[in-house]
Amino acid sequence: MEVLVIMVSFSADKGYSNHPTGLGPDGPFPRAALTHHLDRRWLHYAFLSRDGKCAMVANAAWLGPPLKSCDKRERFTTILLLHDDTQGWHASQFNADISTPHWSAFALPHAHDRPARLDIAAPTKHPKVALKLWRSSRPCTSQSAFFAQHQHLRWQSETGVYGSGEIHIGKSRKNVEFVGYHERVRGRWGWPDLGEWVFGFANDLNAPPGKPPEWSGVFTFIRPVSGKAEEQASFMLWRKGRLVRHFPRRNVSFAVRGSLSRDDVTMVPSLPGLLGTPAASMVPRRLMITAILGNDHVVLDFDGETAARIVIPSETSYKPFSVHEVLGGCHMHGEVNGEKFQIETRGIVEFAGGATHD
Amino acid sequence: MIRAATIFSDTIRVLASSSPAITAAAAKQLGKVTVGLHFGDGSDGSLMAKQSRLLADGKTRLKEPGVELYFDDHALAMLFDASERPSDQVLEKSLDMRGKRDDLLAVWRCFQLLSQRASGLRAIHMIWSDYRTQTRQQKDSAAALNARVDGSGYTNGPNKEYWPALSWLNKRHPAAQEIIAREEPILMPARLLWDGSTSGSWQDTAKIYDTDLQSTMQTFKMMVADEILELLPKTEPKRDLYDLMADYVTREGKGLRPTLVIATCLAFGGRIKDAVRSAAALEMFHNGFLVHDDIADESTHRRGLPTLHEAYGAGLAVNTGDAMHMFAVDMTLSNLKSLGLARTLAIIQEILFMCRETVEGQALELGWIRYNEVPDKDDDYFVMSNKKTGWYTCISPCRIGACVGGCTDPLKLQKFDEAFRLIGIAFQIQDDILNLVGETELYGKEALGDLLEGKRTIMMIHLFNHAKSSVVKRMTEINAMPRADKEQSLAEEMLHEMHKVGSIEYATALADKLATQGVKRFEQDLEFIEDNEGKALLRQVANFVTTRAL
Repeated sequence: MEVLVIMVSFSADKGYSNHPTGLGPDGPFPRAALTHHLDRRWLHYAFLSRDGKCAMVANAAWLGPPLKSCDKRERFTTILLLHDDTQGWHASQFNADISTPHWSAFALPHAHDRPARLDIAAPTKHPKVALKLWRSSRPCTSQSAFFAQHQHLRWQSETGVYGSGEIHIGKSRKNVEFVGYHERVRGRWGWPDLGEWVFGFANDLNAPPGKPPEWSGVFTFIRPVSGKAEEQASFMLWRKGRLVRHFPRRNVSFAVRGSLSRDDVTMVPSLPGLLGTPAASMVPRRLMITAILGNDHVVLDFDGETAARIVIPSETSYKPFSVHEVLGGCHMHGEVNGEKFQIETRGIVEFAGGATHD
Repeated sequence: MIRAATIFSDTIRVLASSSPAITAAAAKQLGKVTVGLHFGDGSDGSLMAKQSRLLADGKTRLKEPGVELYFDDHALAMLFDASERPSDQVLEKSLDMRGKRDDLLAVWRCFQLLSQRASGLRAIHMIWSDYRTQTRQQKDSAAALNARVDGSGYTNGPNKEYWPALSWLNKRHPAAQEIIAREEPILMPARLLWDGSTSGSWQDTAKIYDTDLQSTMQTFKMMVADEILELLPKTEPKRDLYDLMADYVTREGKGLRPTLVIATCLAFGGRIKDAVRSAAALEMFHNGFLVHDDIADESTHRRGLPTLHEAYGAGLAVNTGDAMHMFAVDMTLSNLKSLGLARTLAIIQEILFMCRETVEGQALELGWIRYNEVPDKDDDYFVMSNKKTGWYTCISPCRIGACVGGCTDPLKLQKFDEAFRLIGIAFQIQDDILNLVGETELYGKEALGDLLEGKRTIMMIHLFNHAKSSVVKRMTEINAMPRADKEQSLAEEMLHEMHKVGSIEYATALADKLATQGVKRFEQDLEFIEDNEGKALLRQVANFVTTRAL
């Protein structure tokens, strides 16, 4: 443990952008300052209520200092999205307030079953969440994608994050019990080069209180525009809070059919809708994922119902990058280590892209 | 027992209304070739093209068809089945064609086009699902398919057969079953994003060739009607104003304008929700014009029911028409919150221009009637028709839909003008023909009402240019008579003279020609809009005029 602590502090001091050995960054998520205008660090939160009627997506993002600016400080934004089945989507601008220290499963030491606060609110206090979050599971190994020669993206996920508290959506206030997902991201990329991704998760929502979800899945498909063989794909499967199988790139397959009606896609924050923001592509409705490794396999069948399109300004192109947060029913079944399983649940899928072809 | 010849002719009939673009394209491929159809159940039929229309007969047998075509039950069941691969359709002795080589190829292209493009339509699936289950081959095929799907459902994992996800998707949710279960008008084919080595973009929209015009028009019409009824004040005076404003909204109608507004908005990536308010405002303007127009023309019927002034008197009708226009302005302005200032202003500008064109067109026509003039050139009619109805029926709905979708560039908006000018004039000529030869129940106005009103149509211009001077003199006298004094026999006399000089045939051919030119301009001028759901719908509307039954 002492060795690990020393290594982390070394990383923090040196940073990675000017590493003398040229061996790349020290550790997957160095606590180094963001110095390049495309350096990014995120904490991502996505939750579904146990009854499947509410959803929350939030992102706290740090971005390197602007290009050609004397101001070398990091920029920080937070956005909060809430959805419930009667009031639809409500979102803050990118200026939501978030409680500190920022809740993260990756802030160590971090014991299980010990709740900590996560409050996020728009300056107007609508929407707003005041939650206690606690872990029930373990993170997966971190993954990375490299593209466009010098750009990269690293991420690490943990499913089975529980939340309890209050949400303010529209004019109503509700008490919720959330089951969800947390992720940290670090990297350096421009949106046009990153291209697009399909990402999502599904937790078994029926786990008894205090127990991790029986089964959880997280999948990723990143498709940079710069060239072939840079696509990244994976499917991670958790069993009772522990990662039991990582289906790697060549063992995963994605297909889509149909599209959500444009009426089922709400643009957020609300401001871009009034500014002539270009339309995004139609969002696929049904997503099917298969993963196979020896005798182990998983099939995930997601049927989208509604989506929020988060319009993110691109630093290197005129077209914005759009992340569609899609909510829908999800069926997952498969077999691992000779054990068959199936769950009917709900999931959140992201279809992101759109900053290219200026 | 469903007869094969009947189901085939039903399919062609449904296609003509639900997907005119397919009909027009298939008719073009077939050309002048006549096809004698023979089916495995012993029934016979025929197929031929007339301009952009396909004419199928499920009862009579052609004496000397250009091509003889035989389908057995298996081949016919496969013809419009989107869930089977094309190669599965070819079976020995299942399909037989006899005729000249060029004619055979024309028929082949026609059927290939029909099969590929129509099999994705829900309306076609609804017709054929019963027939397929009737045939033994199809029963066996469906049973085998279901067995595979169920067998792979939750117990077996992906194996060679079910890998990758695309195969899984198609096996677990077969296209044909999904389109019926979800009540979607068109089939969206599945697409592979990643199979372990090759990738596709989720942003690549599945290529959509066609959509179901009829069901979509009905849906959009209902959405707009609901929006108007929702927004209409619920206060007094209900009996003498607000109920009357709702009257025309709830009557039967094609829903052409709402469809054009919403389809164009979709074509530019906009949302249906955002376009409904503008479409409702446009419909309100239109209804206001109709009320006043009916008074000016002394019309007795509108959309199958008495006109407003007939039912409630001219005073209330005029006042209701005024209120409709005012209310339409109010609805337009209410777009500010959802669409923002720039788009709302662009819509207001479009509506103002449309109103000006409409009243100018109305003035031209009323002037001709007032001074008992009949223009001597078709071009004069074209100008009047385009101003009076072309702008608010076709051109402005498209331009307004584009504004809602975020396109306010005048150069791009202009691209709609010529295509929809031609289509609009063709549509108006067809409407005028239907008033003379169509059934009252279908057309919704009184039979020969246009002749009683003295409406200057292409047929009348043609009659005055081609009839003997004595006939022209007589017709001029009839036109000069007040409507109240005109008896039905006078209108029938005028119609008879039109038939004698071939005015109806001339107008029919002219409408076809204009419609064909319009469709051509549509494809040329609107090439800058990428193929998508909205553009596919616009294309169907454009072709609707070319395939309309007269």
